[in-house]
Amino acid sequence: MMKHEISALMDGELFEDEAEILFGQIKRDPSAHQDWATYHMIGDVLRQPEYVHRDISAVVRERLQNEPTVLAPRSRALKQKARVFALSAAASLLAVGVVAWMSLQISPEASPQMAMQQSNIRPVNMQIQPKSNDYLMAHQEFSPSNDMNGGASYIRTVTYNPEEKSQ
Amino acid sequence: MRVWLGFCGLMLAANVCAAEGASRLDWLKTAAFAGHQTDYSGVFVYQYGNHVETSRISHVVETDSEYEKLESLDGPKREIIRHHGQVWCYTNHKMVQVDSQSGRGRFPLLLPAQLSALSENYQVKEAGVERVAGYNTQVILYQPRDNLRYTHKIWVHTDSGLLLKSAVLNEKNQVVEQYAFTELKIGGEVDRSWVASSTPGNSKPALNKAAMTVNSGWVVDALPNGFKKTMEILRPMHGKHASVTQLVFSDGLSAISVFIEPADADEDDNEGLTSRGAVNLYHKVVDKHLYNVVGEVPPKTVMQVLDSIRFNGKQ
Repeated sequence: MMKHEISALMDGELFEDEAEILFGQIKRDPSAHQDWATYHMIGDVLRQPEYVHRDISAVVRERLQNEPTVLAPRSRALKQKARVFALSAAASLLAVGVVAWMSLQISPEASPQMAMQQSNIRPVNMQIQPKSNDYLMAHQEFSPSNDMNGGASYIRTVTYNPEEKSQ
Repeated sequence: MRVWLGFCGLMLAANVCAAEGASRLDWLKTAAFAGHQTDYSGVFVYQYGNHVETSRISHVVETDSEYEKLESLDGPKREIIRHHGQVWCYTNHKMVQVDSQSGRGRFPLLLPAQLSALSENYQVKEAGVERVAGYNTQVILYQPRDNLRYTHKIWVHTDSGLLLKSAVLNEKNQVVEQYAFTELKIGGEVDRSWVASSTPGNSKPALNKAAMTVNSGWVVDALPNGFKKTMEILRPMHGKHASVTQLVFSDGLSAISVFIEPADADEDDNEGLTSRGAVNLYHKVVDKHLYNVVGEVPPKTVMQVLDSIRFNGKQ
């Protein structure tokens, strides 16, 4: 009965006083409200299938209720703007930090052990062997470190390792 | 108007920078000159990794030439004497003349060409004033423009120009090795009594053959930028039957030596990388030749250099 009246209302077939009564009923009766919405949707689909009106209010309300409540105090717009700026500056600093850290991580200039790993050869002994002292001495003679450090650099050529047996 | 003033300011700053660049480079020349011309005697500490040792150094300038004595104060007795481009070394209870390759009357001085190359390869910065061994020093930082060399930091005595401390740092700014005077006497009252007595004029030279400058035909393809060949010789070496070809390349602050010799048939240590302080040594047997690359450069640099050695001469 009600559905028929709703349909008539939508078609503009009711008198004004009848319509007023029906509006009152629809407001009070959820199922009548639902029918009102459904009929409108049917009409929309028949006329313009691309733009279907669909009542998403219930879905939106449900979603909103599931949203976490933000307890942070609301700050003034200006302050917020400044903070956004500061945050983006911090983010770029962080990015620089990450890049710097990464370049440290992948820096090929590493300890001899690292270099050895890179070339897949096994280190025999990390310390220069005494038998190679002659190469060091021969090199030292022509090294600019002589000018820098005077004879002090020569200590490299005769330095001793307490762990080695003295010969 | 403001733009014009700004432009003037910029030009002025550029000029000041250029002048500063020159003066920063001059510190090295000053230090090198002072190191050769000044009488001094002192105790210094040499440190790398966990290794620390103390040595005494004396340097006097006589009318004929410089004399220099370096003696270890820790561990077994070791002594090095330098005079007239010759080096004597006392180790294992023996005094031997280790080389006389240069035959130069003076210790080598930095060449102007090396100094100009320096600013191409390093950024030079004055890094404040610090006190070392009781003296005021100017700190100068040489930061490499690539990662194939180390950062060098030197502390130069502001009055005498002597180098009182020096450090070599890696990319992570960690100290690879450092020298620092803990006690130093500069000038007049330096003891020179040892000069006459300790110069081992009568000690037997270990090597009778002298080195020859040669065009060996050996080339290195992958040198870091700015390393120029400063020496190419065929030299005798202690404990070697055959002569060894030595090529030396320098970028002004550090050097790389390449040694090439016939490999011993019974050589079992075919390849390896070792280090002592800032010096890295990489050796490898390639086609019956033993290559040794030594330099105050990072490990990967000596390896890169060795792997690019090539014979380009006539067989």
